[in-house]
Amino acid sequence: MTRPLSIAAALATLAMAGAGAMIFLYAPRDALEGEPQRIFYLHVSAAIAAYVAFALVLAGGVVYLWSESAAADRLARVSAEVGLLFTTITLVMGSLWAKPIWGAYWTWDARLTSTLVLWMMYAAYLLVRRIAAPGRQAARFAAVVGIIAFIDVPIVHFSVDWWRTQHPQSVINAPGGPALPPEMLVTFAVTALAVLLLTGVLIAVRYRIEALREQVAGLVEEAEAA
Amino acid sequence: MTAFLRVMGAVAGKDLRTELRSREMLPSLAQFVILALLIANFGFDVGQAGPGVIAPGVLWLALVFAGLVAFGRTFAAERDQSSLESLLLTPASRAAIFLGKALAAAILLLACEVVLVPGLALFFGTPIASPTLVGALALATVGMAALGCLFAALAAQTRARELLLPVLALPLWIPFVVVGGRAVQIAMGAQGAGGPALGLLLDFDILFVVVASLAARFVLDD
Repeated sequence: MTRPLSIAAALATLAMAGAGAMIFLYAPRDALEGEPQRIFYLHVSAAIAAYVAFALVLAGGVVYLWSESAAADRLARVSAEVGLLFTTITLVMGSLWAKPIWGAYWTWDARLTSTLVLWMMYAAYLLVRRIAAPGRQAARFAAVVGIIAFIDVPIVHFSVDWWRTQHPQSVINAPGGPALPPEMLVTFAVTALAVLLLTGVLIAVRYRIEALREQVAGLVEEAEAA
Repeated sequence: MTAFLRVMGAVAGKDLRTELRSREMLPSLAQFVILALLIANFGFDVGQAGPGVIAPGVLWLALVFAGLVAFGRTFAAERDQSSLESLLLTPASRAAIFLGKALAAAILLLACEVVLVPGLALFFGTPIASPTLVGALALATVGMAALGCLFAALAAQTRARELLLPVLALPLWIPFVVVGGRAVQIAMGAQGAGGPALGLLLDFDILFVVVASLAARFVLDD
């Protein structure tokens, strides 16, 4: 790893440890939900990180279709992996939180449904990258999938929301509501920043690995041609 | 613009003529949806839940999987005959070629629905002629065909194309199933208001037809 990247990685590790300490030691115990509420900090931060990563997939895809820049495609590819990782974390932690509070691991509300569809679409994105012929075809096809997936997710969210309001509501106790006390807000801000830093580091590391891999592949090709 | 529509019509006409002469797809699709109804009849405890509760779900499951088969074939056949390259060598716009093929596929799926809906009425006692039901199915078919054919074109150019199409198309079809599914539930006697389902489906159609024809240029490339 390069020196700035190593420093950033060390900072991200420290920030995550600090966020963990704040979540368990500094943030107050929730009056209504008790200890499970502590899931909130990492759950929401992971969701934000996933959205940021998928926005990079979208941006990388658009730039690639525009200019066929290999760097844009590489950024989109590695961001999709990191985004999928954080979506998985969001879904798993959300389910663990839902069980004690809502009484079930899963409900089909707009946010849960659209997050699940989000997960499936970017899993399909990575599958396209694996199945399409490497190089230009994989990059183009993936860019198209990444762009359409980004358009579709808000529509899924909106559809289910519309469906819910048309449908007799089952008992869903939406969490939240009251504004957060300052200690919780600070803990959340620190966790979100720590997770975003970690996201950036993960993307940068994966980007560098991919760039080096492509460089090696290029050198091997050159050597074989010689 | 007229040239665009002419190309689109010619491509759609070609695909429909091929089907009319070979008569491969429609009989298979019709058989497929009838078999789906048969399986649903024995897979579900129909007596317990009542046919009206199960029928909308059966309809959408059969339709979605029939759509995967129909759309998958549109480009797979072109690839098997290596005719896609010659089609793309013409100076015609990629979007027009794509929309022509999507139009033909949508018409095939609509023809399949002409078997599916009466079959459902026969086996489950659901209404046939409800305008909401017909409208929701027709509108959903258009948008599903646009997205389905885009990804069928993409999948046909890769290896393992049968694997890729369902994984790509099904999540993107969810909005059509959510909104269209609700409209069909209402048409089949569910409680509550349907709301502007048909208008929403039309919005989705416009959006996805435009997006898919813009993306077609990048998918139908080499």
